Amino acid sequence: MTSVLRIEHLSKTFPGQVALSDVSIDVAAGEVHALVGQNGSGKSTLIKVLAGYHQPDGGERRAWVRDEPLELGDGQAAIAAGIRFVHQDLGLVGMLNAVENIALTAGYQTGRGARIRWRDEARRTTEALDRLGLGHVDIKSPVDSLPPSHRTAIAIARALVGWEEGAHLLILDEPTATLPGDDVERLFEVIHRLKARGVSILYVSHHLDEVFELADRVTVLRDGKKTASVPVGDLDHKGLVELIVGHHIETTSATDAAVEGEPTLAVRGLSGGSVHGVDFDAWPGEIVGLAGITGSGREHVLGLIAGQLPRDGGTVMLEGSAIENFQPRQAIQAGVAFVPAERGLRGTIGPMSVRENLSICDVGRHFLKGRLRRGDEVGETNDWIDRLAIKTSGTEALIGSLSGGNQQKVMFGKALRLAPKLLLLDEPTQGIDIGAKDQIHRLVDEASAQGVVTVVASTDTDELVRLCHRVIVLANGRVVATLVGDHIATEHIEHTQLESSRRAS
Amino acid sequence: MIQRLRFDKYSALYLWALFMVFFTATKGGTFLSWTSFKLVLTDPAAYTGALALAFLVPLATGTYDLAIGANMSMALVISAHLASTDKTSDVAAMFIALGACGIAGFVSGFFVVKLRVNSFIATLGMSQVITAFIQLTSSQSINSAFSDGYRDIGRRELFGLPLFMYYLAILAIIVWYVFEHTPVGRHMFATGGNPEAARLAGLRTDRLVWGSLVASGMIAGFAGIIATWKVGNYAATFGPGFLFPAIAAVFFGASQLKGRPNVWGTFIALYALAWGIKGLQLTFISNTRWIEPLFQGVSLLAAVSLASHQGIVKIRKRKGGADGDAPSTPAISADAPTPAAQATV
Repeated sequence: MTSVLRIEHLSKTFPGQVALSDVSIDVAAGEVHALVGQNGSGKSTLIKVLAGYHQPDGGERRAWVRDEPLELGDGQAAIAAGIRFVHQDLGLVGMLNAVENIALTAGYQTGRGARIRWRDEARRTTEALDRLGLGHVDIKSPVDSLPPSHRTAIAIARALVGWEEGAHLLILDEPTATLPGDDVERLFEVIHRLKARGVSILYVSHHLDEVFELADRVTVLRDGKKTASVPVGDLDHKGLVELIVGHHIETTSATDAAVEGEPTLAVRGLSGGSVHGVDFDAWPGEIVGLAGITGSGREHVLGLIAGQLPRDGGTVMLEGSAIENFQPRQAIQAGVAFVPAERGLRGTIGPMSVRENLSICDVGRHFLKGRLRRGDEVGETNDWIDRLAIKTSGTEALIGSLSGGNQQKVMFGKALRLAPKLLLLDEPTQGIDIGAKDQIHRLVDEASAQGVVTVVASTDTDELVRLCHRVIVLANGRVVATLVGDHIATEHIEHTQLESSRRAS
Repeated sequence: MIQRLRFDKYSALYLWALFMVFFTATKGGTFLSWTSFKLVLTDPAAYTGALALAFLVPLATGTYDLAIGANMSMALVISAHLASTDKTSDVAAMFIALGACGIAGFVSGFFVVKLRVNSFIATLGMSQVITAFIQLTSSQSINSAFSDGYRDIGRRELFGLPLFMYYLAILAIIVWYVFEHTPVGRHMFATGGNPEAARLAGLRTDRLVWGSLVASGMIAGFAGIIATWKVGNYAATFGPGFLFPAIAAVFFGASQLKGRPNVWGTFIALYALAWGIKGLQLTFISNTRWIEPLFQGVSLLAAVSLASHQGIVKIRKRKGGADGDAPSTPAISADAPTPAAQATV
């Protein structure tokens, strides 16, 4: 069996964090090789080193493509050596159609006077899609208007154009992460066809079903180290989960915490986005965690409660009064404070100062006798800057001039100054440094001590372990497990996420 | 030292001072005379100033209103029509005209808010529809429609300046007050800065956009009403020519003082340009019509480039220094205080 890609002793260190430690991997010709691991296990880093986004650490940096040496950390060299990437975001230009997207990468075929031979381009595109079994895909409409599986197929077709002339390995980075269920099936058909054509594939995923469905061999990463590289046939689902999570765990059924009295928050039949009927309650002072892999519904529950996303159905009651669908204003009035994920898109207001960002939900507080009292507002902002230890040059600094962690602290101040009954935190510490993360965790503890109900959705399992009194695990849009007490442990949550994902599908 | 002078924030003031010194030196008495002072202050800056306010209000919410020129003409046409019949008093005609402009703004708002049409396109379309209405009802000019008593409401002078200049000043103060001293103004800028974040913060972003377009229509109508006092006639050529100077003043002004669209920056920019144009017109006596567009175009490009450049430098500094904890906000909209970033459509 000849090897297509061989990497030996690859390490990559980021400041304060080892992302990859002495990882070796060997992909054989014609096989589908799965690369799996939890968030933060290093699989994205590995792909990014291959694609040239990151430089590997010095010393051992050896890779071979078909026994030809390859300099890692150089994207152009990787492509010249015959590696093709389909990244998670696909990298298509939304306003262009399939023909134009493919031509952008593959180069335009031009005739006399640099005229683009559109007919030849269209034929090339149709043929490329045809070979994936998707000859019926609309190649004339902007790709934004196509279903997600078609977009993925176009990205794959684009990666494969000119395959016969010296390409060797196709890397698919979590291609199903954003696909709805039916589309996943269609994508699998495409991959089976590629396999039949003898295309070697390195398939990155955290869906274990996909590994068993598609892969010949699997390499498992955990905390930046390779834990196994074995034929899929030698493993069962349970064995693979153990390789990923690291500890053998007796599956236990957790019981709900015995809590007295009426819940503060009651969510019933919540649906919308990737969520299909979620029920849960929360009591005063409780910190509830939401866990689940991407696509499980974890990423949409809080948005559906807070009015960021429209619900398809279900009710949310806070202290007996309803929080209406898709009405952030009404939710805030009812006592909800929401710190959304993707701060830059939904949280911070870029052209405004720290002061203005902090007070925006309730500016009226400082509107007395016909004027906004700037002095009061600056005073309050300074209080929050002290209390949350926000590093800023002052109240008037533009929010964008702060580091990510400090921006997030401003977002916390914005939420906490509303004195909420319910605090919703969506990925509260994503992309921020360790110090700020710790401070934010302490703020959540303080709010909880004052009786605020907190719901945290996070991909960072350690964070859930650190914060939560109860962790609700979601899979396929539903609640599959509720963990309390000693069951809230990193390995256990990850185990449940992966196990449940299989059972429910 | 250079930093202290803050050329980025006060470029229009420096420019203004430069013009005053330079043209006083070269043109002396003619340039500094009360006649030319008054001319610059009121003509055409009165129309331009009112239209600039009309453009400024929706721009705060991130919305363009390009129908302001057409609205201005419509206010003049409607009030001239109604006033020339005997049934309606001139004052009633004025209020009906303002109401019609408000309705035009409301219709623009419907397209922008309810049908999610890009405001640039929606108001450009509305502008043409209003123009068609004007052409249909009044293909030629309307003369002497207004009584002297009515025109005196605006043109009578107080301390040497016509009353409409005082009305304009009051309007500017109201807009400034709402922008800077009320929660509504804060909410408008938040909507312009990041509509989704503003919505999640509980602001009624749709109403703010819609309301700002209605206000914009009526303020543009007020510019037309100034014409009923000042000129008293309608001619088919009136209106569209004032659109660019007004927009230029707003964008140039947005680079001044606060780094976002603001009232006083707009007026400083407006008058800095007006005095520069005056000086050049006195210098080149024959064929002076090229001066105004060239001057407005160049100063707009220069001022906004300077402001953007400052923003870009800031971003570069951040990128160099940050590791691991990179800023997640799209840096351009966060740091560059350009109107383009403010008014994302």
